[in-house]
Amino acid sequence: MKDATQGRVFGRTQLEDLVIVPLFALVAALFLGALVMAATGVAPGTIAQSYAALLKGSVGSIDAVSETLTAALPLVLAGLGLALGFRAGLFNIGAEGQIVMGGLAAVVAGVALADFPAFIALPGALLAGAVTGAFYAGIAGWLRAATGAHEVISTIMLNLISFRLLDYLLRTPLIQKEGRADPISKSVPDVAELPKLLTFLDANLRLHAGLFLTLVMVAAAYWLLFRSKLGFEFRASGENAIAARFAGMNAGLTIVMAMAVAGALAGLAGANQTLGVLGRATPGFSAEIGFDAIAVALLGRSHPVGVLFAGILFGALEAGGRQMQVDAGVSIDLIGIIQSLIIVFIAAPLLVKAIFPWGFRKAGTGKGRS
Amino acid sequence: MQVELRNITKRFGPVVANKDVNLTIEPGEVLGLLGENGAGKSTLMNVLCGLYEPTEGEILIDGRPVAFKGPGDAIRAGIGMVHQHFMLVPVFTVAENVILGIEPVGRFDHLDLKAARAEVKKLSTEYGLTVDPDATIETLPVGVQQRVEIIKVLFREADVLILDEPTAVLTPQEVDEFIQIVRSLCDAGKAIVFITHKLNEILEISDRIAVIRRGEIVGSGDPKKLTRPELAEMMVGHPVDFDVARAPFAPKEVILDIQGLTLVRDDGAVAVDDLSLQVHSGEVVGIAGVQGNGQSALIEALAGLRRPVAGKVTFDGTDITDASARERHRMGIAHIPEDRQRAGLIGNFTVAENMVLDSYYGPPFAKGAGINWGRVEEEAAAVAEQYDVRTPSVHAAAAHLSGGNQQKLVVARELSRDTRLVIAGQPTRGLDVGSIAFIHERLMAARDEGDGVLIVSSELDEIMALSDRILVMFKGRIVAEYAPHEAPVDKGTIGLAMAGAAT
Amino acid sequence: MRVFFRTASMVGGALIAMALANPALAFTACQVTDTGGIDDNSFNQTAWKGVLDAEQNLGVEGRFLESQAETDYDANINSLIDGDCDIIITVGFLLGDATEKAAKANPDQPFSIVDFAYDPPIENVLGQVYATDQAAFLGGYLAAGMSKTKILGTFGGINIPPVTIFMDGFVRGVDHWNAVKDDNVTVLGWNVDTREGLFTNNFDNLDDGRAYAQNLYDEGADIVLPVAGPVGLGSATLADELGVDKLKIIGVDADLYYTDTERQHVYLTSITKRMDATVAAVIETTMNGHFEGGVLVGTLENGGVSLAPFHDMDDMVPDALKAEVEALRASIIDGSISVSD
Repeated sequence: MKDATQGRVFGRTQLEDLVIVPLFALVAALFLGALVMAATGVAPGTIAQSYAALLKGSVGSIDAVSETLTAALPLVLAGLGLALGFRAGLFNIGAEGQIVMGGLAAVVAGVALADFPAFIALPGALLAGAVTGAFYAGIAGWLRAATGAHEVISTIMLNLISFRLLDYLLRTPLIQKEGRADPISKSVPDVAELPKLLTFLDANLRLHAGLFLTLVMVAAAYWLLFRSKLGFEFRASGENAIAARFAGMNAGLTIVMAMAVAGALAGLAGANQTLGVLGRATPGFSAEIGFDAIAVALLGRSHPVGVLFAGILFGALEAGGRQMQVDAGVSIDLIGIIQSLIIVFIAAPLLVKAIFPWGFRKAGTGKGRS
Repeated sequence: MQVELRNITKRFGPVVANKDVNLTIEPGEVLGLLGENGAGKSTLMNVLCGLYEPTEGEILIDGRPVAFKGPGDAIRAGIGMVHQHFMLVPVFTVAENVILGIEPVGRFDHLDLKAARAEVKKLSTEYGLTVDPDATIETLPVGVQQRVEIIKVLFREADVLILDEPTAVLTPQEVDEFIQIVRSLCDAGKAIVFITHKLNEILEISDRIAVIRRGEIVGSGDPKKLTRPELAEMMVGHPVDFDVARAPFAPKEVILDIQGLTLVRDDGAVAVDDLSLQVHSGEVVGIAGVQGNGQSALIEALAGLRRPVAGKVTFDGTDITDASARERHRMGIAHIPEDRQRAGLIGNFTVAENMVLDSYYGPPFAKGAGINWGRVEEEAAAVAEQYDVRTPSVHAAAAHLSGGNQQKLVVARELSRDTRLVIAGQPTRGLDVGSIAFIHERLMAARDEGDGVLIVSSELDEIMALSDRILVMFKGRIVAEYAPHEAPVDKGTIGLAMAGAAT
Repeated sequence: MRVFFRTASMVGGALIAMALANPALAFTACQVTDTGGIDDNSFNQTAWKGVLDAEQNLGVEGRFLESQAETDYDANINSLIDGDCDIIITVGFLLGDATEKAAKANPDQPFSIVDFAYDPPIENVLGQVYATDQAAFLGGYLAAGMSKTKILGTFGGINIPPVTIFMDGFVRGVDHWNAVKDDNVTVLGWNVDTREGLFTNNFDNLDDGRAYAQNLYDEGADIVLPVAGPVGLGSATLADELGVDKLKIIGVDADLYYTDTERQHVYLTSITKRMDATVAAVIETTMNGHFEGGVLVGTLENGGVSLAPFHDMDDMVPDALKAEVEALRASIIDGSISVSD
């Protein structure tokens, strides 16, 4: 792919940045994870068994791959949105709330469109999710552009509002499942469901058509970021807001648009969950995907393709982590530790380079002359 | 104290910043170190003041080799540096700043400020620095702040003072005072290393000149026997033409008309106060003034980035007071921002991306909602060549270009399209001689083609070389106007007006 | 995945490495917990104890998967289907739909679910439900007799039957006291008729437990019944700080005097739901080849539910009241008093 922004040649620096550092970070995190297990009294054999289970549970069978991808899809979608925000210089913590609102809206739209054929009901439900997510994130963008309220604060608050709003809305007659007193939505009708892709092999395989949605969105995010006028404005504002303003770009509009696009992708992640995996909305259905997606976006270096791979890695860790618990009885919390360690190492590339001196060029070249 | 740099080589990876440099610094002497930006002056001096260790070679003090592990060692050995950017705490007093880091303490860890103040006073009178030890830094003019930096170094008992581009921030009058101070330091037996890229100053102030180019000492000599063209040629490696060729002055209609413009800064202070001026097509108007007298706000307002609280701006008969930056850009107003790193460029963007930073949205670059990058790259490559932007390719990040090439990139972007008015803030600040000449040529070409050109600069030489009309700005107002083509005007007169004498 | 932001909890050492004896021969019982964690001192932990008991007494091998969020249910059950489980026990009403889906997709796999009964029954699922209101009735009567302020409080995790059945029994027990003694003790937090009350809408936020108990205490309640798994531990913390004179807690699911040892003195009693007993029983039945779908109901009579001893507060409970509670128990078992009028 020709890439005007990254240079025609996939340079050595990009290779180090996008491939080698994350790879070594993973290795280092797995190693430290083993040390943590050893320190808490897990036998060496069990440690080996758990990592074997991690591999088996993530890529060891069709079911494992299906689970890995199923877990990865919402992370990739929300991560793409966050990556776009980061590129525009916005630290959007609100993906979680946008997932909640988008996912719920998709259920409501899906239920409302139950009498329509699938080619209307499904796109309609997805669109409702995207638009609602965009609107919800747009609030934070507007607050930032109009009043200067920092998006980190406002998105955190919007997250909290969304959780309570979800609890409340799930108990309103329009949304609540008939005959239930607890907060749970009506089921998504078949026509609005993202169809399962592999049930012809095995009824338990959960991978669904959100896969295609996600791949299309990766390509779309790439185009938007590196090929479009809007993406140029996002990147310019993120790299140097002052220069962007001096060049005549409208800073406020850029912020609102960047937040809205990020919210639309997070909303799609929510719709992906309710329409593809859960079939309904329940309290906490967002399951902190929006927060994990922050890590995914950072790990993917805010590049759409990087986000895709980072999301798959996190999906693999989730699916494999489950297997670790089943086979070796190791706590799922360990997977959380490994994920956190990966992020720590990614965030400190110099640390990685210090631990693994080979594979990197010598530092300190070219700079220093006055 | 005599300091000798012997065969100093400093490498950063494969890059050689200094190569086999030999230099002696004698007490009671001003050594002028001349070189373009990026020639290796600062690296060399950072080696001398202990920030870098030399890759090869040694430093000798009074004939004995020394090794500096850090700036502390150099200071203890009597070598002190006054940096280009002051390192002062704005809310502290002069005395507090001077003792910062080496606070003299009395019994029970009591901060002995009294002794410090006495010492500052003593140094101040000894070298004619006239600084009040109890003044707060933020209330002092830049020139005085610089003296505080010098006192800091003297307080640490330095015998060798390295002054890095000390005159960049000073008014002509302040430069004169500064030269007096340097003289009195010399008379007291201190050795001074004076780093600059300005030819006039180095000729005036130095006892001896060394010229550095591409990391090597390429020549040295007695300033009394050297001329500006000789020095310039040594510095850049080829003969330099100092005169800007210009067509006869033939102004046409008024293109920019500012009436009663009043601007306030973000903190509410008045930056520009009821200012009126006009620029004609085919005319260069230069605004001289010490930085901080409202020039930045004026430029921002003209570029559409700051809303006036009062007044009217007309461009070619159209009221543009409330027009956005993009609207002005479309009308043919080019804007070269004062600070290329902060406002003119995006360092991590490529040369091609920077080239279309303000024109990506329309034809020929836009293609629906997308951008035709192929077209952008072609165009950028052509313009880069036309404007002598030296870059490995249009895919190189702008941050990797030298300052001169960065500024040429900004100039290329702004002037390569159809323009009718050029607004340029500090267009050559911090650039090398070659780039300055090139940019001056381009600005003059714009004027000759019939554009109105408004230049704001704190470099009086630049204003005088380019302007058909010179306006002096002081405290947000135009306080003096000169028309050199009618009656010659000298630097001293303008300098006085810059200092507020005309009000 | 959800644990990304709460890994700290594990560093404390929740790693459980289990002995892995020859998996091909051993009977394997697998369990999927609800949210809140396997070490919640309450609901999940009690059900898991049933598996541990079976490990000890029957020599079976136990495995568990913790659900970190409601989205995990399907995935967790799926993972166990690949894991050679002789029986899969899902713990919690909220797993009802996921269990049904998995059971229908895998008709040869025996399932058992705690707190859910299918109507009509599914052939390969044995539901374990509890007549918790019987024990809660006793708890309500006891609390009414112990209250000085004549105001009691309760709150739930989520408004679902296995939670509200505690609250129903509790309120009706208090009503029974009022009727018998011609008294006027009120219960805040649950209305039996409107089915509305106080709910935290989660089973894992201890801060909520503290805040809700504080609200009830501020309204005059001196005994609070939190029906929200580990959320109640937050309420216990408040009681610990205020002192048991001002606020007492009634535990649920397990006898919290034993599981929450740091704050054991704040518990007046616990309304226990012996999931450990029923889970162990189901494992044993299945191991012996007698698995059958349907419903298993725990009652006061068969010991599936009961009221725990008063432990440290034994001296504070008047002997007369003890005797009345005991009599009431007998009446409920023999059917002379109905707990669900």
